[in-house]
Amino acid sequence: MRVLTVDDSRTILAMLHHTLTNAGFEVLQAENGQLGLDVLAREEVDVVITDINMPVMDGIEFIKNVRATGKHQSLPILILTTETSQDKRDQGRAAGGTGWIVKPFDPEKLISVINKVVH
Amino acid sequence: MSDLDEFKATYFDECSELLLELEEQFAAIEEGDRDSERLNAVFRAIHSIKGGGGAFGFDGLVKFAHSFETLLDYVRDGRVELTEEVVTLCIRSVDIVADFVNAARNGDTLPAEYGASEKASFDALARGEAAETEAGAGESDEDSMDEFDIDFTPVSVDLSADKPLSDLPVSPDGESSWLITFTPFPTLYERANDPLLLFRELALLGSIEVTATLGGLPTLDQFDPFGVYCSWTIALTSDKASEEAIREVFEFVDGDCEITVEKQAGAPAAEITEPDDLPSFADLAEEAKAERKFVPTGEPDADSAPAAPAAPAADVGAPTPVRPVTPAAANGVSSAAASEEANGGRAVGMQSIRVDLDKVDRVVNMVGELVITQSMLTQQMDDAIRDRYQELVRGIEVLAQTTRGLQDAVMAIRAQPVKSVFSRMPRLVRELAAKTGKKIKLETIGENTEIDKTVIEQLSDPLTHMVRNSADHGIEGLENRLASGKPETGTIRLSAEQAGGNILIVVEDDGQGINRERVLEIGRERGIVGPDQQLTDEQIDNLIFAPGFSTASEISDISGRGVGMDVVLSNIKKIGGSVHVRSWPGKGTRMTLRLPLTLAVLDVMLVKVAGSPYVIPLSSIVETIQNSRADFGHMPSGGKVLQVRGEYVQVVDLARRFEMVTDQTDDNRFVVLCEAEGNSKVALVVDDIIGQQQVVIKSLEENFERINGIAGGTILGDGNVALIVDVQSLKTGHAHQNAA
Repeated sequence: MRVLTVDDSRTILAMLHHTLTNAGFEVLQAENGQLGLDVLAREEVDVVITDINMPVMDGIEFIKNVRATGKHQSLPILILTTETSQDKRDQGRAAGGTGWIVKPFDPEKLISVINKVVH
Repeated sequence: MSDLDEFKATYFDECSELLLELEEQFAAIEEGDRDSERLNAVFRAIHSIKGGGGAFGFDGLVKFAHSFETLLDYVRDGRVELTEEVVTLCIRSVDIVADFVNAARNGDTLPAEYGASEKASFDALARGEAAETEAGAGESDEDSMDEFDIDFTPVSVDLSADKPLSDLPVSPDGESSWLITFTPFPTLYERANDPLLLFRELALLGSIEVTATLGGLPTLDQFDPFGVYCSWTIALTSDKASEEAIREVFEFVDGDCEITVEKQAGAPAAEITEPDDLPSFADLAEEAKAERKFVPTGEPDADSAPAAPAAPAADVGAPTPVRPVTPAAANGVSSAAASEEANGGRAVGMQSIRVDLDKVDRVVNMVGELVITQSMLTQQMDDAIRDRYQELVRGIEVLAQTTRGLQDAVMAIRAQPVKSVFSRMPRLVRELAAKTGKKIKLETIGENTEIDKTVIEQLSDPLTHMVRNSADHGIEGLENRLASGKPETGTIRLSAEQAGGNILIVVEDDGQGINRERVLEIGRERGIVGPDQQLTDEQIDNLIFAPGFSTASEISDISGRGVGMDVVLSNIKKIGGSVHVRSWPGKGTRMTLRLPLTLAVLDVMLVKVAGSPYVIPLSSIVETIQNSRADFGHMPSGGKVLQVRGEYVQVVDLARRFEMVTDQTDDNRFVVLCEAEGNSKVALVVDDIIGQQQVVIKSLEENFERINGIAGGTILGDGNVALIVDVQSLKTGHAHQNAA
């Protein structure tokens, strides 16, 4: 199973990478939404985990763009965010986000959330 | 290093970059630039620092950053006005965040009240404005901070096992039965949620029986593949389910469906039978395939499309555990993942990689050796070889070119913009201005100029000292400035540019200039200048770099700290650079740092003195003259000077200077005219000029000891050792005694 992780923080990318590879996932990485779209244009992935606050293209725009391509209408997208104030999460969902993960994430919870949205 | 330590190291690296960016951005904001992208960037930076800090449980940092972030969020959406006070508060708070980060890095604990007043200001500002638009927002944010207490402990999760992933608390009343009705809205599918997955998740709680209600299913000609026609009833029997746990399963589809959860009073799951007056799904699917327009956009998971769960209830609700991944798939992936992990994973979207500096240095050293070998090969080619082996010669010429290119490419890896050092200066100048009560403006030019990383690292201290010196001694107080007709605000200009094989860094101010009388007086007092010695203005100015010049009497709170400008000079010399000052009384001072572009390889002229090879850095050579054509003059003191285009240049005979005897007659020798610091020149007399080449510098200090007049050593292509002549110290050193 392949996961695309999109985050501008190297720390978070490294932690996701570690947790996900330990759990047997193959991990692809991108540093912002635009680079995330580039990856999706040429790679097949099973699930996307994306940050909201990023330079160049933020997570909301990224999700909108992913959903706009017919190919990815049923690709699960998890929003990774420290925004505990509901509004960012809601914006992410309105854009087409499937679910969310609250940072800092508990590794076990992360895996269980992924399993909740992928076949 | 444990995984956690490694993550921490990554985090602190990242923090350093983010803090640097924060300083830069706020410096621009302070100048009045309120570009929204700048505000977004500072918000993101604080947000990232907080996010990572939360993962490691740096509570103090996270709490402070949280308040900071909240304010920045309000500022960027206009809820809080970005006044000068708010900017000042933010700039101060960046320093506090830096202190928190440093404390976390060093494992120190800051006092509980650290940054408390700034944090209180943030909260007050946020509340003051937020109260009108979003009552209580501040408070709920505060509460949510409890969630940041989770320590990050990586675990490995075995996906192939059939065990449930979440251990939910056992409900106190043993086994219970639940009846759940679930009617999705189209939005549920638009967000890539899937009823099948929700049922699978429910099955982790206990045994389920899912029944589809197909009352709304249209006939095939009315059928919209993206339409939603099904709803479901799920009977759950579980010994650990609670309403909360069940609702959590539907967490992600909240608002995208209608759902009811009812606890059944001990009754068995309700019998709901599938209406049998409808066409079977298999029939529908067959027809859909025949008419291609019904196939939902060629998706591989057509079986999860809205119509799919119309399959017989037994298929979905079967009590057999649902595997998140089939064993075959899991095996395939884990072996692939293991090999990926070894090389740090696939970074498809990344535009840069981080490499240990040691690894780069190994490459630099090897390239250095390659350069030597290549030049040795070139040296070995005499005319006979050139005639006989033309192919070989051509190959070696290509090798030379490639080697040169390789060397440039490797050096470029180590090069970094001076920005990282320059960007620390605005804050320094701000602090200095505040301390001295002066008004000082800092201008930076050429901050994208690139220099070797090692040089940059060594540059910070000397540059800080020079800027301090300008702010403290250079720029006058307000009254003095106004009295001398200068603008109230003094200017310090910091610039960097590449000049040949060197980088010039200039610190300039429009202050009062160096007080030469006072400097000369101190120089004589300290015995740096002999009682009768006459010095030019320039020589007097440069006395400030002389060892032992700085004294207690002139140590101020700012540029003092017990070290003087001589430390600047010795630091700069260590990295092969030089420093020079020029001053215009009443108008200002300019200090120029000349730094090598790279530390590893030097372009040199190879010369011979008393039978031994020496090399002179090409960057300092102006011209070479045959002795017989040189226009020498004699000084009354017995010293020799060279007259070049109306200028008298001090002559240093290298053989005599290094106390060796040459058998070469004077007329057959050569003069190498070199430029030392500050455009001053020195003429070196050598026995012969051999040619030009590149050498890898080997430190004498590391392998032997420091020798005045020698900057280092190198190994030539033929294996001989040649010493690198230090032009600057020959000029300023004991030149008088040794002059020919």
